[in-house]
Amino acid sequence: MAEMMKGNVAIAEAAVRAGVRFYAGYPITPSSEIMEYLAKRLPELGRQFIQSESELAAINMVMGAAACGVRALTASSGPGISLKQEGISVLSDEELTCVVVNVVRYGNGLGTLFSSQCDYFRETRGGGNGDYRCIVLCPSSIQEAVDLMLTAYELAEKYRVVTVFMTEGALGQMMEPCELPDFVEPPKLPWGFDGKYSYKKIGIFDRDSMQEAEQLNRKYETIRAEEQRWESENVQDADYVFVAYGLPGRAVKGVTRQMRAQGLKVGLIRPITAWPFPVKAFAEVNPGVKGFITVEANATGQMVDDVALASKTVFRDRFVPTHALPCVYGLPSRKFIMDGFGQIVSGARKEVY
Amino acid sequence: MREILFAGLGGQGVLTCGLIVAEVALFNGRTATWSPSYGSAMRGGAANCTVKYSREMVYNPSLDEPDLLLAMSESALALHGHLVKKGGIVLVNSDLVGGEGFGRTDVSVHRVPCSSLAQRIGQPKGANVIMTAAIIKLLGDFGFEDGMRGMNDMFRKKGKERFEKGNSAAFEAGYSAV
Repeated sequence: MAEMMKGNVAIAEAAVRAGVRFYAGYPITPSSEIMEYLAKRLPELGRQFIQSESELAAINMVMGAAACGVRALTASSGPGISLKQEGISVLSDEELTCVVVNVVRYGNGLGTLFSSQCDYFRETRGGGNGDYRCIVLCPSSIQEAVDLMLTAYELAEKYRVVTVFMTEGALGQMMEPCELPDFVEPPKLPWGFDGKYSYKKIGIFDRDSMQEAEQLNRKYETIRAEEQRWESENVQDADYVFVAYGLPGRAVKGVTRQMRAQGLKVGLIRPITAWPFPVKAFAEVNPGVKGFITVEANATGQMVDDVALASKTVFRDRFVPTHALPCVYGLPSRKFIMDGFGQIVSGARKEVY
Repeated sequence: MREILFAGLGGQGVLTCGLIVAEVALFNGRTATWSPSYGSAMRGGAANCTVKYSREMVYNPSLDEPDLLLAMSESALALHGHLVKKGGIVLVNSDLVGGEGFGRTDVSVHRVPCSSLAQRIGQPKGANVIMTAAIIKLLGDFGFEDGMRGMNDMFRKKGKERFEKGNSAAFEAGYSAV
Protein backbone atom coordinates (compact mmCIF):
# COMPACT_ATOMS: atom_id res chain seq x y z
CA MET A 1 0.00 0.00 0.00
CA ALA A 2 1.14 3.51 -0.73
CA GLU A 3 2.49 5.37 2.31
CA MET A 4 2.68 9.09 3.00
CA MET A 5 6.28 10.08 2.29
CA LYS A 6 8.14 13.36 2.14
CA GLY A 7 9.42 14.10 -1.37
CA ASN A 8 13.07 14.45 -0.40
CA VAL A 9 13.03 11.27 1.66
CA ALA A 10 11.24 9.31 -1.07
CA ILE A 11 13.77 10.51 -3.66
CA ALA A 12 16.65 9.51 -1.39
CA GLU A 13 15.23 6.05 -0.75
CA ALA A 14 14.48 5.61 -4.46
CA ALA A 15 18.14 6.40 -5.16
CA VAL A 16 19.21 3.79 -2.60
CA ARG A 17 16.97 1.24 -4.33
CA ALA A 18 18.35 2.24 -7.73
CA GLY A 19 21.74 1.11 -6.46
CA VAL A 20 23.45 4.33 -5.37
CA ARG A 21 26.69 3.34 -3.65
CA PHE A 22 28.08 6.79 -2.97
CA TYR A 23 26.68 10.15 -1.91
CA ALA A 24 28.60 13.34 -1.24
CA GLY A 25 26.98 16.69 -0.63
CA TYR A 26 26.69 19.82 1.44
CA PRO A 27 23.35 20.75 3.02
CA ILE A 28 21.07 23.52 1.76
CA THR A 29 17.36 24.20 2.23
CA PRO A 30 15.09 22.88 0.74
CA SER A 31 17.16 19.81 -0.25
CA SER A 32 18.81 18.88 3.06
CA GLU A 33 16.50 15.97 4.00
CA ILE A 34 17.98 14.00 1.10
CA MET A 35 21.43 13.94 2.67
CA GLU A 36 20.08 13.79 6.21
CA TYR A 37 18.27 10.59 5.28
CA LEU A 38 21.21 9.12 3.36
CA ALA A 39 23.61 9.91 6.20
CA LYS A 40 21.90 7.15 8.15
CA ARG A 41 20.66 4.95 5.32
CA LEU A 42 23.78 4.41 3.20
CA PRO A 43 26.09 3.26 6.04
CA GLU A 44 23.34 0.84 7.14
CA LEU A 45 23.80 -0.89 3.79
CA GLY A 46 27.60 -0.71 3.84
CA ARG A 47 27.61 2.08 1.26
CA GLN A 48 29.39 5.42 1.43
CA PHE A 49 28.06 8.75 2.62
CA ILE A 50 30.20 11.88 2.93
CA GLN A 51 29.16 15.31 4.13
CA SER A 52 31.83 17.21 2.31
CA GLU A 53 33.39 20.51 3.31
CA SER A 54 31.89 22.27 0.29
CA GLU A 55 29.82 21.73 -2.83
CA LEU A 56 32.99 21.84 -4.90
CA ALA A 57 34.46 18.98 -2.90
CA ALA A 58 31.18 17.03 -3.13
CA ILE A 59 30.96 17.04 -6.92
CA ASN A 60 34.64 16.07 -7.20
CA MET A 61 34.09 13.18 -4.82
CA VAL A 62 31.10 12.12 -6.91
CA MET A 63 33.39 12.28 -9.94
CA GLY A 64 35.80 9.95 -8.16
CA ALA A 65 33.04 7.46 -7.41
CA ALA A 66 31.80 7.68 -11.00
CA ALA A 67 35.35 7.04 -12.26
CA CYS A 68 35.37 3.91 -10.12
CA GLY A 69 32.27 2.70 -11.93
CA VAL A 70 29.59 2.96 -9.25
CA ARG A 71 26.30 4.83 -9.13
CA ALA A 72 26.93 8.14 -7.40
CA LEU A 73 24.61 10.90 -6.28
CA THR A 74 24.71 14.47 -5.08
CA ALA A 75 21.86 16.81 -4.21
CA SER A 76 21.58 20.50 -3.54
CA SER A 77 19.55 23.55 -4.46
CA GLY A 78 20.08 26.55 -6.80
CA PRO A 79 23.26 28.22 -5.47
CA GLY A 80 24.76 24.91 -4.33
CA ILE A 81 24.39 23.49 -7.83
CA SER A 82 26.03 26.65 -9.23
CA LEU A 83 29.14 25.70 -7.28
CA LYS A 84 29.05 22.22 -8.80
CA GLN A 85 29.01 23.37 -12.42
CA GLU A 86 32.75 23.03 -12.99
CA GLY A 87 32.53 19.41 -11.81
CA ILE A 88 29.47 18.68 -13.93
CA SER A 89 31.31 20.03 -16.97
CA VAL A 90 34.30 17.79 -16.22
CA LEU A 91 32.06 14.74 -15.64
CA SER A 92 30.42 15.44 -19.00
CA ASP A 93 33.80 15.84 -20.69
CA GLU A 94 35.04 12.53 -19.26
CA GLU A 95 31.73 10.88 -20.16
CA LEU A 96 31.30 9.87 -16.53
CA THR A 97 27.84 9.34 -15.12
CA CYS A 98 25.98 10.41 -12.01
CA VAL A 99 22.70 11.96 -10.93
CA VAL A 100 22.56 15.51 -9.62
CA VAL A 101 19.35 16.41 -7.77
CA ASN A 102 18.40 20.08 -7.80
CA VAL A 103 15.56 20.87 -5.38
CA VAL A 104 15.01 24.25 -6.97
CA ARG A 105 14.53 27.36 -4.84
CA TYR A 106 13.83 30.86 -6.10
CA GLY A 107 16.21 33.65 -6.81
CA ASN A 108 19.47 34.93 -8.18
CA GLY A 109 22.61 34.85 -6.08
CA LEU A 110 21.82 33.26 -2.73
CA GLY A 111 18.13 33.61 -3.56
CA THR A 112 15.30 32.65 -1.24
CA LEU A 113 13.79 29.48 0.17
CA PHE A 114 10.64 29.66 -1.99
CA SER A 115 9.80 26.75 -4.27
CA SER A 116 10.54 27.62 -7.86
CA GLN A 117 11.52 26.61 -11.40
CA CYS A 118 14.00 29.42 -11.96
CA ASP A 119 16.93 27.12 -12.82
CA TYR A 120 15.37 25.87 -16.08
CA PHE A 121 17.90 27.62 -18.33
CA ARG A 122 20.88 26.55 -16.24
CA GLU A 123 19.89 22.87 -16.15
CA THR A 124 18.73 22.54 -19.75
CA ARG A 125 21.64 24.45 -21.32
CA GLY A 126 24.45 23.06 -19.21
CA GLY A 127 25.55 25.55 -16.59
CA GLY A 128 29.30 24.97 -16.81
CA ASN A 129 31.78 25.88 -19.49
CA GLY A 130 31.88 24.02 -22.76
CA ASP A 131 29.64 22.26 -25.17
CA TYR A 132 27.74 19.65 -23.20
CA ARG A 133 24.17 18.69 -22.36
CA CYS A 134 22.69 16.91 -19.37
CA ILE A 135 19.50 14.89 -19.51
CA VAL A 136 17.02 16.76 -17.31
CA LEU A 137 14.06 15.02 -15.66
CA CYS A 138 11.32 17.08 -14.02
CA PRO A 139 8.77 15.02 -12.05
CA SER A 140 5.43 16.46 -10.98
CA SER A 141 4.60 14.14 -8.10
CA ILE A 142 6.48 12.18 -5.50
CA GLN A 143 5.44 8.92 -7.15
CA GLU A 144 6.71 10.09 -10.50
CA ALA A 145 9.98 11.22 -8.92
CA VAL A 146 10.48 7.84 -7.30
CA ASP A 147 9.63 6.02 -10.53
CA LEU A 148 12.08 8.16 -12.52
CA MET A 149 15.11 7.65 -10.27
CA LEU A 150 16.22 4.33 -11.77
CA THR A 151 15.51 5.78 -15.22
CA ALA A 152 17.79 8.70 -14.34
CA TYR A 153 20.72 6.32 -13.85
CA GLU A 154 19.85 4.10 -16.80
CA LEU A 155 19.74 7.11 -19.13
CA ALA A 156 22.98 8.52 -17.74
CA GLU A 157 24.74 5.19 -18.29
CA LYS A 158 23.18 4.46 -21.67
CA TYR A 159 24.52 7.73 -23.08
CA ARG A 160 27.34 8.41 -20.62
CA VAL A 161 26.01 11.78 -19.56
CA VAL A 162 25.04 13.41 -16.29
CA THR A 163 21.34 13.30 -15.44
CA VAL A 164 19.96 16.32 -13.63
CA PHE A 165 16.95 15.49 -11.49
CA MET A 166 15.15 18.84 -11.38
CA THR A 167 12.56 18.97 -8.63
CA GLU A 168 11.17 21.91 -6.68
CA GLY A 169 11.29 23.03 -3.06
CA ALA A 170 7.61 22.30 -2.53
CA LEU A 171 7.92 18.80 -4.03
CA GLY A 172 10.86 18.05 -1.75
CA GLN A 173 9.06 19.27 1.36
CA MET A 174 5.54 17.96 0.76
CA MET A 175 4.19 14.50 1.54
CA GLU A 176 1.84 12.36 -0.49
CA PRO A 177 1.19 8.65 -0.91
CA CYS A 178 3.99 6.84 -2.68
CA GLU A 179 4.97 3.26 -3.43
CA LEU A 180 8.67 2.56 -3.53
CA PRO A 181 10.26 0.42 -6.26
CA ASP A 182 12.21 -2.79 -5.59
CA PHE A 183 15.96 -2.80 -5.02
CA VAL A 184 18.19 -3.28 -8.04
CA GLU A 185 21.80 -4.41 -7.98
CA PRO A 186 23.54 -2.52 -10.77
CA PRO A 187 26.59 -4.09 -12.39
CA LYS A 188 29.93 -2.32 -12.01
CA LEU A 189 30.06 0.15 -14.85
CA PRO A 190 32.48 -1.18 -17.48
CA TRP A 191 34.33 2.11 -17.87
CA GLY A 192 35.20 2.30 -14.19
CA PHE A 193 38.83 1.98 -13.03
CA ASP A 194 39.87 -1.64 -12.55
CA GLY A 195 43.10 -0.96 -10.67
CA LYS A 196 45.24 -2.28 -13.55
CA TYR A 197 45.76 0.79 -15.71
CA SER A 198 43.78 -0.94 -18.48
CA TYR A 199 42.84 2.30 -20.17
CA LYS A 200 44.96 4.24 -22.55
CA LYS A 201 46.05 7.57 -21.16
CA ILE A 202 45.18 10.50 -23.41
CA GLY A 203 46.98 13.73 -22.69
CA ILE A 204 45.22 17.06 -23.09
CA PHE A 205 47.22 17.86 -26.23
CA ASP A 206 46.61 14.43 -27.78
CA ARG A 207 42.88 14.93 -28.08
CA ASP A 208 41.18 15.25 -31.43
CA SER A 209 38.48 17.74 -30.59
CA MET A 210 37.11 17.78 -34.15
CA GLN A 211 36.45 14.07 -34.03
CA GLU A 212 35.08 14.32 -30.48
CA ALA A 213 32.69 17.05 -31.63
CA GLU A 214 31.23 14.71 -34.23
CA GLN A 215 30.74 11.98 -31.66
CA LEU A 216 29.23 14.44 -29.21
CA ASN A 217 26.75 15.70 -31.77
CA ARG A 218 25.79 12.16 -32.76
CA LYS A 219 25.19 11.32 -29.12
CA TYR A 220 23.06 14.38 -28.41
CA GLU A 221 21.09 13.88 -31.63
CA THR A 222 20.31 10.30 -30.56
CA ILE A 223 19.16 11.51 -27.14
CA ARG A 224 16.97 14.15 -28.79
CA ALA A 225 15.46 11.54 -31.09
CA GLU A 226 15.00 8.73 -28.57
CA GLU A 227 14.48 10.14 -25.11
CA GLN A 228 11.80 12.83 -25.20
CA ARG A 229 9.25 12.19 -22.47
CA TRP A 230 6.02 14.01 -21.79
CA GLU A 231 2.39 13.70 -20.84
CA SER A 232 -0.26 15.45 -22.88
CA GLU A 233 -4.01 15.61 -23.06
CA ASN A 234 -6.70 17.28 -25.16
CA VAL A 235 -4.23 18.75 -27.66
CA GLN A 236 -5.73 17.41 -30.91
CA ASP A 237 -8.61 19.89 -31.04
CA ALA A 238 -7.28 22.57 -28.71
CA ASP A 239 -7.47 26.29 -29.48
CA TYR A 240 -4.86 26.93 -26.81
CA VAL A 241 -2.29 24.49 -25.45
CA PHE A 242 -0.75 25.08 -22.03
CA VAL A 243 2.79 23.87 -21.44
CA ALA A 244 3.92 23.39 -17.84
CA TYR A 245 6.13 20.94 -15.95
CA GLY A 246 6.70 19.81 -12.39
CA LEU A 247 4.27 20.97 -9.72
CA PRO A 248 2.91 23.81 -11.86
CA GLY A 249 2.38 21.18 -14.58
CA ARG A 250 0.11 19.23 -12.34
CA ALA A 251 -1.70 22.38 -11.09
CA VAL A 252 -2.32 23.42 -14.71
CA LYS A 253 -3.62 19.93 -15.49
CA GLY A 254 -6.35 20.35 -12.87
CA VAL A 255 -7.31 23.76 -14.23
CA THR A 256 -7.32 22.74 -17.92
CA ARG A 257 -9.56 19.78 -17.06
CA GLN A 258 -12.00 22.19 -15.37
CA MET A 259 -11.82 24.51 -18.38
CA ARG A 260 -12.58 21.59 -20.70
CA ALA A 261 -15.58 20.69 -18.56
CA GLN A 262 -16.78 24.28 -19.13
CA GLY A 263 -16.44 23.83 -22.89
CA LEU A 264 -13.17 25.70 -23.39
CA LYS A 265 -10.94 23.99 -25.96
CA VAL A 266 -7.65 23.88 -24.08
CA GLY A 267 -5.02 21.19 -23.84
CA LEU A 268 -1.86 20.50 -21.89
CA ILE A 269 1.66 19.34 -22.66
CA ARG A 270 3.62 18.46 -19.52
CA PRO A 271 7.31 17.86 -20.27
CA ILE A 272 8.89 15.08 -18.19
CA THR A 273 12.25 15.60 -19.87
CA ALA A 274 13.15 19.30 -19.93
CA TRP A 275 16.15 18.27 -22.04
CA PRO A 276 15.63 16.76 -24.51
CA PHE A 277 12.61 19.06 -24.78
CA PRO A 278 9.55 17.06 -25.97
CA VAL A 279 9.24 18.61 -29.43
CA LYS A 280 7.40 15.50 -30.61
CA ALA A 281 4.49 16.37 -28.32
CA PHE A 282 3.83 19.42 -30.50
CA ALA A 283 3.32 17.28 -33.60
CA GLU A 284 0.08 16.00 -32.06
CA VAL A 285 -1.35 19.48 -31.58
CA ASN A 286 -4.32 20.82 -33.57
CA PRO A 287 -2.82 22.39 -36.76
CA GLY A 288 -5.17 25.35 -36.22
CA VAL A 289 -4.04 26.05 -32.65
CA LYS A 290 -4.24 29.74 -31.75
CA GLY A 291 -1.48 29.83 -29.19
CA PHE A 292 0.81 28.12 -26.70
CA ILE A 293 0.89 29.29 -23.09
CA THR A 294 3.63 28.35 -20.66
CA VAL A 295 2.98 28.52 -16.93
CA GLU A 296 6.33 28.67 -15.12
CA ALA A 297 7.48 29.38 -11.57
CA ASN A 298 10.07 32.00 -12.50
CA ALA A 299 10.05 35.73 -13.11
CA THR A 300 11.11 36.05 -16.71
CA GLY A 301 9.68 33.06 -18.58
CA GLN A 302 12.37 30.56 -19.58
CA MET A 303 10.70 27.45 -21.01
CA VAL A 304 8.75 29.73 -23.35
CA ASP A 305 11.92 29.82 -25.51
CA ASP A 306 11.84 26.04 -25.95
CA VAL A 307 8.11 26.09 -26.65
CA ALA A 308 8.58 28.70 -29.38
CA LEU A 309 11.41 26.65 -30.90
CA ALA A 310 9.34 23.46 -30.74
CA SER A 311 6.42 25.25 -32.33
CA LYS A 312 8.67 26.57 -35.10
CA THR A 313 10.03 23.07 -35.69
CA VAL A 314 6.56 21.57 -36.05
CA PHE A 315 4.49 24.38 -37.59
CA ARG A 316 6.81 25.32 -40.41
CA ASP A 317 4.23 27.17 -42.48
CA ARG A 318 3.03 29.60 -39.81
CA PHE A 319 4.04 31.23 -36.58
CA VAL A 320 1.92 30.27 -33.58
CA PRO A 321 1.88 32.99 -30.88
CA THR A 322 3.66 31.76 -27.78
CA HIS A 323 2.80 33.27 -24.39
CA ALA A 324 4.29 32.96 -20.94
CA LEU A 325 2.53 33.19 -17.59
CA PRO A 326 5.38 33.25 -15.08
CA CYS A 327 4.13 33.04 -11.48
CA VAL A 328 7.64 33.78 -10.09
CA TYR A 329 7.61 31.24 -7.25
CA GLY A 330 5.27 28.76 -5.62
CA LEU A 331 2.41 27.16 -7.50
CA PRO A 332 0.05 28.98 -9.88
CA SER A 333 -3.47 29.21 -8.45
CA ARG A 334 -6.57 28.56 -10.53
CA LYS A 335 -7.29 32.31 -10.42
CA PHE A 336 -3.78 33.17 -11.70
CA ILE A 337 -4.12 30.77 -14.62
CA MET A 338 -7.68 31.83 -15.49
CA ASP A 339 -6.88 35.56 -15.26
CA GLY A 340 -3.81 35.12 -17.46
CA PHE A 341 -5.76 33.05 -19.96
CA GLY A 342 -8.49 35.71 -20.09
CA GLN A 343 -5.90 38.41 -20.83
CA ILE A 344 -4.34 36.31 -23.59
CA VAL A 345 -7.65 35.53 -25.29
CA SER A 346 -8.79 39.18 -25.12
CA GLY A 347 -5.47 40.41 -26.50
CA ALA A 348 -4.67 42.39 -23.34
CA ARG A 349 -1.55 40.30 -22.80
CA LYS A 350 1.01 40.22 -25.59
CA GLU A 351 2.76 37.07 -26.71
CA VAL A 352 6.47 36.63 -25.97
CA TYR A 353 7.18 35.25 -29.45
CA MET B 1 -11.80 17.95 -2.49
CA ARG B 2 -11.09 19.22 1.01
CA GLU B 3 -8.51 21.82 1.92
CA ILE B 4 -7.45 22.41 5.52
CA LEU B 5 -4.90 24.89 6.86
CA PHE B 6 -3.28 24.01 10.17
CA ALA B 7 -1.60 27.08 11.65
CA GLY B 8 0.04 27.90 14.93
CA LEU B 9 3.41 28.18 16.59
CA GLY B 10 6.34 25.79 16.29
CA GLY B 11 6.02 23.16 19.03
CA GLN B 12 2.22 23.16 19.17
CA GLY B 13 2.03 20.08 16.98
CA VAL B 14 0.24 21.62 14.00
CA LEU B 15 2.37 19.76 11.45
CA THR B 16 1.58 16.44 13.14
CA CYS B 17 -2.07 17.42 13.40
CA GLY B 18 -2.14 17.93 9.63
CA LEU B 19 -0.33 14.68 9.01
CA ILE B 20 -2.84 12.73 11.12
CA VAL B 21 -5.74 14.15 9.09
CA ALA B 22 -3.91 13.26 5.84
CA GLU B 23 -3.24 9.73 7.11
CA VAL B 24 -6.87 9.33 8.20
CA ALA B 25 -7.94 10.35 4.69
CA LEU B 26 -5.51 7.87 3.13
CA PHE B 27 -6.62 5.15 5.52
CA ASN B 28 -10.18 5.77 4.35
CA GLY B 29 -9.47 5.42 0.64
CA ARG B 30 -8.70 9.01 -0.33
CA THR B 31 -5.52 10.42 -1.72
CA ALA B 32 -3.91 13.27 0.21
CA THR B 33 -1.15 15.87 0.12
CA TRP B 34 0.57 17.53 3.07
CA SER B 35 2.55 20.70 2.40
CA PRO B 36 4.39 22.43 5.23
CA SER B 37 5.71 25.93 5.51
CA TYR B 38 9.47 25.50 5.64
CA GLY B 39 12.59 27.53 5.96
CA SER B 40 14.08 29.39 8.88
CA ALA B 41 11.34 28.25 11.29
CA MET B 42 12.06 27.57 14.97
CA ARG B 43 10.23 26.62 18.12
CA GLY B 44 7.88 29.47 18.97
CA GLY B 45 7.94 30.86 15.39
CA ALA B 46 5.03 30.52 12.97
CA ALA B 47 4.39 27.02 11.63
CA ASN B 48 1.71 25.81 9.29
CA CYS B 49 0.78 23.10 6.83
CA THR B 50 -1.87 22.64 4.19
CA VAL B 51 -3.59 19.30 3.77
CA LYS B 52 -5.77 18.44 0.80
CA TYR B 53 -7.61 15.19 0.30
CA SER B 54 -9.81 13.93 -2.45
CA ARG B 55 -11.21 10.83 -4.14
CA GLU B 56 -9.28 11.76 -7.29
CA MET B 57 -5.81 13.25 -7.78
CA VAL B 58 -4.92 16.40 -5.83
CA TYR B 59 -3.66 18.63 -8.62
CA ASN B 60 -2.40 21.64 -6.70
CA PRO B 61 -1.10 20.77 -3.24
CA SER B 62 -0.47 24.36 -2.14
CA LEU B 63 -2.59 26.70 -0.03
CA ASP B 64 -5.49 28.26 -1.90
CA GLU B 65 -8.86 28.61 -0.16
CA PRO B 66 -9.23 26.33 2.89
CA ASP B 67 -12.54 24.77 3.92
CA LEU B 68 -11.25 24.81 7.47
CA LEU B 69 -8.61 26.77 9.34
CA LEU B 70 -7.16 25.51 12.58
CA ALA B 71 -5.82 28.56 14.43
CA MET B 72 -3.74 27.45 17.39
CA SER B 73 -2.49 30.98 18.11
CA GLU B 74 -3.59 34.61 17.87
CA SER B 75 -1.11 35.27 15.06
CA ALA B 76 -2.32 32.25 13.09
CA LEU B 77 -5.85 33.61 13.11
CA ALA B 78 -4.74 37.13 12.25
CA LEU B 79 -2.56 35.90 9.38
CA HIS B 80 -4.84 33.31 7.81
CA GLY B 81 -8.41 34.13 8.94
CA HIS B 82 -9.19 35.99 5.70
CA LEU B 83 -8.28 33.01 3.50
CA VAL B 84 -11.06 30.69 4.64
CA LYS B 85 -13.70 29.89 2.06
CA LYS B 86 -17.10 31.58 2.47
CA GLY B 87 -19.25 29.29 4.58
CA GLY B 88 -16.10 27.57 5.83
CA ILE B 89 -15.04 26.66 9.35
CA VAL B 90 -12.56 28.23 11.75
CA LEU B 91 -11.47 26.14 14.71
CA VAL B 92 -9.77 28.19 17.38
CA ASN B 93 -7.58 27.26 20.34
CA SER B 94 -9.47 29.39 22.86
CA ASP B 95 -6.77 28.96 25.48
CA LEU B 96 -4.53 31.27 23.45
CA VAL B 97 -6.89 33.15 21.15
CA GLY B 98 -9.14 35.91 22.58
CA GLY B 99 -12.92 35.94 22.26
CA GLU B 100 -13.25 38.99 19.98
CA GLY B 101 -14.18 38.45 16.36
CA PHE B 102 -11.69 38.64 13.47
CA GLY B 103 -13.84 40.44 10.97
CA ARG B 104 -15.58 37.44 9.38
CA THR B 105 -19.29 36.74 9.77
CA ASP B 106 -19.47 34.38 6.79
CA VAL B 107 -17.67 31.47 8.45
CA SER B 108 -18.63 29.35 11.44
CA VAL B 109 -16.27 29.65 14.38
CA HIS B 110 -15.72 26.86 16.89
CA ARG B 111 -13.74 27.43 20.05
CA VAL B 112 -12.04 24.60 21.89
CA PRO B 113 -9.71 25.21 24.87
CA CYS B 114 -7.45 22.37 23.73
CA SER B 115 -4.49 23.01 26.03
CA SER B 116 -6.51 23.14 29.25
CA LEU B 117 -8.70 20.25 28.06
CA ALA B 118 -5.53 18.22 27.44
CA GLN B 119 -4.37 18.97 30.99
CA ARG B 120 -7.77 18.03 32.41
CA ILE B 121 -7.81 14.58 30.80
CA GLY B 122 -4.24 13.92 31.89
CA GLN B 123 -2.76 14.13 28.35
CA PRO B 124 -0.84 17.41 28.52
CA LYS B 125 0.80 16.78 25.12
CA GLY B 126 -2.49 15.86 23.46
CA ALA B 127 -3.80 19.32 22.53
CA ASN B 128 -3.11 18.74 18.82
CA VAL B 129 -4.81 15.33 18.82
CA ILE B 130 -7.84 16.94 20.50
CA MET B 131 -8.01 19.43 17.63
CA THR B 132 -7.48 16.66 15.05
CA ALA B 133 -10.57 14.85 16.33
CA ALA B 134 -12.56 18.10 16.40
CA ILE B 135 -11.60 18.75 12.75
CA ILE B 136 -12.62 15.26 11.68
CA LYS B 137 -16.00 15.71 13.34
CA LEU B 138 -16.55 19.24 11.98
CA LEU B 139 -15.79 18.22 8.38
CA GLY B 140 -17.93 15.10 8.67
CA ASP B 141 -16.12 13.12 5.96
CA PHE B 142 -14.99 10.37 8.34
CA GLY B 143 -16.74 8.95 11.38
CA PHE B 144 -15.34 8.60 14.88
CA GLU B 145 -14.14 5.02 14.36
CA ASP B 146 -12.59 5.73 10.95
CA GLY B 147 -10.73 8.70 12.40
CA MET B 148 -9.49 6.88 15.47
CA ARG B 149 -8.37 3.84 13.47
CA GLY B 150 -6.59 5.99 10.89
CA MET B 151 -4.73 7.89 13.61
CA ASN B 152 -3.71 4.81 15.56
CA ASP B 153 -2.60 3.11 12.36
CA MET B 154 -0.28 6.02 11.60
CA PHE B 155 1.35 6.01 15.05
CA ARG B 156 1.71 2.21 14.93
CA LYS B 157 3.54 2.51 11.61
CA LYS B 158 5.86 5.04 13.26
CA GLY B 159 6.52 2.61 16.13
CA LYS B 160 4.70 4.83 18.61
CA GLU B 161 1.94 2.45 19.67
CA ARG B 162 2.90 2.98 23.33
CA PHE B 163 1.10 6.34 23.13
CA GLU B 164 -2.08 4.79 21.72
CA LYS B 165 -4.07 4.90 24.97
CA GLY B 166 -3.26 8.55 25.57
CA ASN B 167 -3.88 9.52 21.94
CA SER B 168 -7.20 7.68 21.94
CA ALA B 169 -8.28 9.50 25.11
CA ALA B 170 -7.36 12.85 23.56
CA PHE B 171 -9.17 11.91 20.33
CA GLU B 172 -12.34 11.07 22.26
CA ALA B 173 -12.17 14.31 24.22
CA GLY B 174 -11.70 16.37 21.03
CA TYR B 175 -14.50 14.59 19.19
CA SER B 176 -16.89 15.41 22.05
CA ALA B 177 -15.70 19.03 22.32
CA VAL B 178 -17.44 20.27 19.15
